[in-house]
Amino acid sequence: MIEVSKVTKKFGDFVALDALDMRVPKGAIYGLVGPNGAGKSTIIRHLSGVYKQDEGQVLIDGQPVYENDAIKRRYAVIPDDIFYFTQANTIDMMKFYKSMYPNFDEALFKKIMDCFPAIDPKKMVRSLSKGMQKQVAFMLSIASRPELMILDEPVDGLDPVMRRQIWSLIMSDVAENGLTVLVSSHNLRELEDVCDHVGIMNNGKILIERSLDELQTSITKIQIAFEGEMPPIPQEIKVLKKITNGRVHTLIVKGEPREAEQKIAQMKPLLMDVLPLTLEEIFIYELGGENYAVKDIIF
Amino acid sequence: MQSKTSFFNMTLFKKNISRTWIAGLVYFIILILSLPVTFIISNANAADDYMADMGYTMEMRLYQHMSVVPTASFAMVMSIIVTAITFWYLFSKRDNYMMHSFPVNRASLFFTGILSSMVVTLLPVLVTAILMTGVAVGMGTASVSCIWYWTIIVVVSTILFTSIAMFSLMTTGQMVTAILFYFTFNFLYLLMELAFRLTASALMFGMGQALTGITFKIWSPIMFIPVNTSVTSDIQTDDYGSKVIGFTHSFDGAQYLLIYFIAALVIIAISFMMYKKKKLETVQDFISVPWLKPVFSVGMSFFISMVAGASAASMLEVFKPFSFNVRYIVAIIFITVIGIVIFYATQMMIEKTLRVFSVKTLSKCLGYTVAALVVILGLRLDVFKIEDKVPAEKNIEWAAISGEYTMVFQDQKNIKQVRELHKNFLEDKKELRDVATLFPEDGTSTLDIKYKLKNGDVIVRSYDVINTEAKDATATYVAATQPILDFVNKPEIIKEHVIGNTWNTGFIKEMTFSTYIYDDNVKDFVYDSNEFVNLTDKEKREKYERVYKALLKDVDEGKVFVQKFGYDEDDASISDNQLYNDFYFTIRDEKNIYISDLDLYWGEQFVQTMYEQDISVALTRDCKNVLKALKDEEFYDDDDKLVTYGEYNKIMGYNEDESYASY
Repeated sequence: MIEVSKVTKKFGDFVALDALDMRVPKGAIYGLVGPNGAGKSTIIRHLSGVYKQDEGQVLIDGQPVYENDAIKRRYAVIPDDIFYFTQANTIDMMKFYKSMYPNFDEALFKKIMDCFPAIDPKKMVRSLSKGMQKQVAFMLSIASRPELMILDEPVDGLDPVMRRQIWSLIMSDVAENGLTVLVSSHNLRELEDVCDHVGIMNNGKILIERSLDELQTSITKIQIAFEGEMPPIPQEIKVLKKITNGRVHTLIVKGEPREAEQKIAQMKPLLMDVLPLTLEEIFIYELGGENYAVKDIIF
Repeated sequence: MQSKTSFFNMTLFKKNISRTWIAGLVYFIILILSLPVTFIISNANAADDYMADMGYTMEMRLYQHMSVVPTASFAMVMSIIVTAITFWYLFSKRDNYMMHSFPVNRASLFFTGILSSMVVTLLPVLVTAILMTGVAVGMGTASVSCIWYWTIIVVVSTILFTSIAMFSLMTTGQMVTAILFYFTFNFLYLLMELAFRLTASALMFGMGQALTGITFKIWSPIMFIPVNTSVTSDIQTDDYGSKVIGFTHSFDGAQYLLIYFIAALVIIAISFMMYKKKKLETVQDFISVPWLKPVFSVGMSFFISMVAGASAASMLEVFKPFSFNVRYIVAIIFITVIGIVIFYATQMMIEKTLRVFSVKTLSKCLGYTVAALVVILGLRLDVFKIEDKVPAEKNIEWAAISGEYTMVFQDQKNIKQVRELHKNFLEDKKELRDVATLFPEDGTSTLDIKYKLKNGDVIVRSYDVINTEAKDATATYVAATQPILDFVNKPEIIKEHVIGNTWNTGFIKEMTFSTYIYDDNVKDFVYDSNEFVNLTDKEKREKYERVYKALLKDVDEGKVFVQKFGYDEDDASISDNQLYNDFYFTIRDEKNIYISDLDLYWGEQFVQTMYEQDISVALTRDCKNVLKALKDEEFYDDDDKLVTYGEYNKIMGYNEDESYASY
């Protein structure tokens, strides 16, 4: 769905995007994670058709995005700072979106509105709270029946109940209509429950880009204890990190978890536990060696 | 597949109108008040007001009304207001990003924006024109074409100013700056010309009057349109201004409107290209177009430093007059320092940081400074031939010499003569331009040479001159200046240009000679003049004619209206010789219009038609013929009643420093 190849963007002498590559498959919920200043909003503005890249290609469904309103009609963008016309209320904005997006579903809009009873549709949107403005943005975007939603820090400012409600709306659209979602956040924990693909950005580059399945099957945390000294670990087991605490050793092992478990079992440990890793831990151990800054990205 | 480019979006159009209609409504109210309402009120009693008595028709009233209703000023203000509101989103990051992430391309945003702006600015004009036409026809006017010519002027002006507004909005990421740029662009040519003229007047030889020769060029539309494109009506009345005897009108400047319309289309096309290429990350930048950054930086540094540097050098002369070269050196120092300061200040504005002191900026600054110095040096060496400029004879409508008297020459022979004298004068500039330092003891006066060209331009040069008879006047100086005095002091030139073109066709309508006798009781001179109340008009005119002939004889003998250069308040030859007595007369010719050299010189000729002129004569004791005639004709009876300025000052106790009467 989204294909970003070797995209470079400079603001004066500052390189905001540095030959960035990114792939978002159709139907995926892609989480784009990175610290402030990593370039997340910059690449999202390229995908929104706001910025024009200095080099490289930004394609959606194989078509360049910039100045391509035919493509833009097929996706919706919710930026971190949302724009509404002065004096416009929710109904006015609905009419505007309806005229802009050919697939806009007014019935769906009204249905979603029922989920947000706190919003007065006749009240000026700019006078609503930040959270409510976000909710209006979601209502408008989902009702536009997009094939792709690009969300920049989407649930920032929303309370936990509202976050859950928003995500459930999106997830149901993904399930029912095969919606593709690109969502940026500076917090991996936020995305862990909803994303099936994750890309980590720093200094204008995607450091790593994986599907959740790949990640979960590529790295394992195994805790083991031996009576005496720990025997040498077989060479075919790739240990990313080893932490020893008394007789208990924690190994972060790269590779197929079941295979690693079997090989370690042959070492006859007194105790062996295979523990799940959070996304944060996976990324830390995956990237920790080659780029220590990844810790700053995730925590 | 790339979508087809769309140039219009109805949703955006409606949205734009919904935000700007209030400005259009206010504009409409102003127009309605300025046109039909004012016209109705001022002509409510058209059947029996004083204008009706004079013979004014409703058509004349309409044309007069339409000739004074503003055109360009309305359009200029409205265009920027409406365009700025429409394209407001360009100046806020949030609005800008969101508007451009909607499925609308820039062509659509741009042209829909322009169209909606023009609807809001032009619709009130068109509706007002229709209403005004209805009112005019209703009040009995057959010809309403002036209303529609006014409408065309406003429509073209609006399109032009909207295009300039669009260009301004595309150049910057800050709304306030865009509005400043809009006004700057409208006055840019004028401002640049003023800067050059100010610099020239301070630094260049003969350019002291550079600011007076300014005319509004087509490049400054807000100044040019009201002057050159208008409904003009001329109502001629009889001598007493009580009866209308003729009415003419014209629609001026249609060719300029066509030029402006084409220019507007070109500017809109350029603005569109700028929008297409506009990098949206430049929102909030002082200048968002890369090529404009050096233009702004260099332009501001150059013009501000030129004006400030040249003015500072001139101001320092309050303490001590500089020679031409010293003034230049002082100016160069000021221009260089001020230029560098402004250059770095503009860099700070552009880069939005105080940290601009890099090698890259330094090299740019050095480049600018060298270029500026080359231009200043070019001015010094007159490579642009400004100081030496004497226009070609075929291009001159008239040439003028203005010293003690102002003489304007319209005939080819004298135009040629003025050119030759001017060229001769410029041959040795070195001594002439430094008269203040070379001849510090001699008082200077000003000699102006002015050319009105056939294309409407004016060239005026102004020179400080000293008395050619001064002790220290060099042969070179005298050789350059004396021929001018010899020319203007020729009797036939004096008669034609001091008394005027009717000097030998008119008759003397009035003549007054005042006498002064000191009265001890009042400790002052008592004024008297013979009014000849017992004489008939015919007898008086015969008397005046005889005195006038004597005056002409004195002119022939070089005794009166003779000009000198320089000014010396201690000049005994003046104070002991020039009479304090007033002598003036009125010459009238009912068949020939009096052409006033002074009015022609200042561009006021034919503002009102004149058939007579008052002439004041500074008599001296050497004017034997006219003094004798005045005595013979009983204007005075005793030579004791003739008082020179020297005598007057002495008796009144005025010394040189506090001279009241002086001369």
